[in-house]
Amino acid sequence: MGRQSILKSIKTNKPELVELQTIDANLFFEDIDLIETFKSNVKLVGGNIIELNQADLDVQIKELYPNVNKIVALDPSSKLGTISISKDTDPHSLETIDLAIIKGEFGVAENGSVWISEESFPIRVLPFITNDLVIVLSKKDLCENLHIAYQKIADRNRTFGLFLSGPSKTADIEQCLVIGAQGAMSLTIILV
Amino acid sequence: MSHSEKAAIFNKDEAKVNWHDKALWFVREKRDTSAHKVKGWEELRNLASGIKANVLSNLDNYLIEFEANAQKNGIKVHWASNAEEHNKIVHKILAKHKAKKVVKSKSMLTEECHLNPYLENEGIEVIDTDLGERIVQLAKEPPSHIVLPAIHKTKEEVDELFQEHLGTTPSNGNPEYLTNEARKHLRDKFLKADAAITGVNFAVAETGGFVVCTNEGNADMGSHLAKVHIACMGIEKIIPKEEHLGVFLRLLARSSTGQPITTYSSHFNKPAEGREMHIVIVDNGRTEQLSREEFRSSLSCIRCGACMNTCPIYRRSGGHSYDATIPGPIGSILSPGMDMKKHSSLPFASTLCGSCSNVCPVKINIHEQLYAWRQVIVKEQKQPIIKKSILKITGAVLARPTLYSFMGKSVRFMLKYAPKFMIYSKLNAWGKARDLPEVKNGNFDQWYKNREKNG
Repeated sequence: MGRQSILKSIKTNKPELVELQTIDANLFFEDIDLIETFKSNVKLVGGNIIELNQADLDVQIKELYPNVNKIVALDPSSKLGTISISKDTDPHSLETIDLAIIKGEFGVAENGSVWISEESFPIRVLPFITNDLVIVLSKKDLCENLHIAYQKIADRNRTFGLFLSGPSKTADIEQCLVIGAQGAMSLTIILV
Repeated sequence: MSHSEKAAIFNKDEAKVNWHDKALWFVREKRDTSAHKVKGWEELRNLASGIKANVLSNLDNYLIEFEANAQKNGIKVHWASNAEEHNKIVHKILAKHKAKKVVKSKSMLTEECHLNPYLENEGIEVIDTDLGERIVQLAKEPPSHIVLPAIHKTKEEVDELFQEHLGTTPSNGNPEYLTNEARKHLRDKFLKADAAITGVNFAVAETGGFVVCTNEGNADMGSHLAKVHIACMGIEKIIPKEEHLGVFLRLLARSSTGQPITTYSSHFNKPAEGREMHIVIVDNGRTEQLSREEFRSSLSCIRCGACMNTCPIYRRSGGHSYDATIPGPIGSILSPGMDMKKHSSLPFASTLCGSCSNVCPVKINIHEQLYAWRQVIVKEQKQPIIKKSILKITGAVLARPTLYSFMGKSVRFMLKYAPKFMIYSKLNAWGKARDLPEVKNGNFDQWYKNREKNG
């Protein structure tokens, strides 16, 4: 019932076709230092960001998060994992995870966000339910803005993915910013 | 009760009104700082406005395309003509899964449809999981702002609510402590939920996917843990192509809170293995609004809240005085289309200053539509006798130059010589909270004539 009547009503009531404009990405192009802009925006949205050599990755993570025990490490360059997960893991069992280390696909300089997708974490709830989150991202994988970001993900296998910008936060009590609402309490991006 | 009557109640607590006013203006300033950093911001707004105009002119075809693509990806699509159908569909899905505990992330549409009381009546527990929404849910109040649902509550009030409902210890309204207690309380709800309901920020015709934006991560915590995810959207949430998300996501959070993007912009395209994903597409008066040429562009709204944060009336009257699901300027052009009688005072709750239209990321001419609604409403709704007579008298005076000149002289005389109790009486609304200007001798007409005489 609903479908037919809604579509019919739209057909009767809609205005004459307005042409769809194309996006001219050049309008928004800025000659910026990708790494510096990205770093300053990650800080702006409440995240930590560190540049380091690949050899130091696990040492660095241990230094940042010395008291974590239950670790899911999905970035291939980290050997810190103490718990392994697969497609068959019950998402509820991840409730007690202290730290998740996952690979970021690319970063967006204008807003300090990183695109991550189900390809790099078999259980969707992982980056949200973990207490702390580390994303390992290659310095080479940075783009200027979202227009370019959508070109980069145009041909992906579409299941689930997100732009993640900083740790979970809220300002719902008298506009006071509090880091750590329902998702991860902290986010560290390690540029390699 | 009209908007002005409710606003008068809100204005009884002067300190709170001043705080509310300043807090929202601060958000507006953050929006400015953020917008000014983006090269081509105005071009972005033009693009967004153009894409939305195209959407409204081709909405039926985009919905059909969206449905086909979503179904290809294993998403189940439902259609609801009105709130009642929407609620029934949601309940049917929940009943099929014997779901008794539901977590919900922010969705103005489900507020509009009064989904919570409907489901509660069916014996289902519905927990709002956005912190601000949870606060107003515990207080048994509707949200007073679409992005900051509990902006009307002080931290001390939240403290008391949490003591009563979550068993917290008194903290003098410590936001960090209270947020952390809410986190623990909501974690438990997420882990026990049978189903999750979310809104939809954008649905993409080309891919059949949809995007949900939150800062807290509550939509993701709910939808990835529960077996069933139901996403509810108004028909106007459609955009043609995925690349258009680049335009809208650049605008949305910057216009809203001044953040460059929300913390989580989650793209749902396929249910996870062994899980179910449903989309409910809702009309509920939107196709009727589409038929109103002057007002149809109100359907382009992306629910950022910028028009509320900037509005001098909203900031000083609070969201609840609008008594509508969507308060503020945008709500005042949407609501009369839903129920003109109930919402007839809303288009008058504006100075027509145009600030709302200036900050709108999709360039809706909100203040012009407010003015246009007034024309419709005075024709179709009975107006208060005082307002009618005053406007009639004003019309008569303005049409007669000698009478106008005489009235001007009398008013100046009165302001100068009449006793205070007469000037600042109940009849003079302009004298309520301000001093009237000091009267100098003469008026513009006399000054101009003298000037001519003296060459």
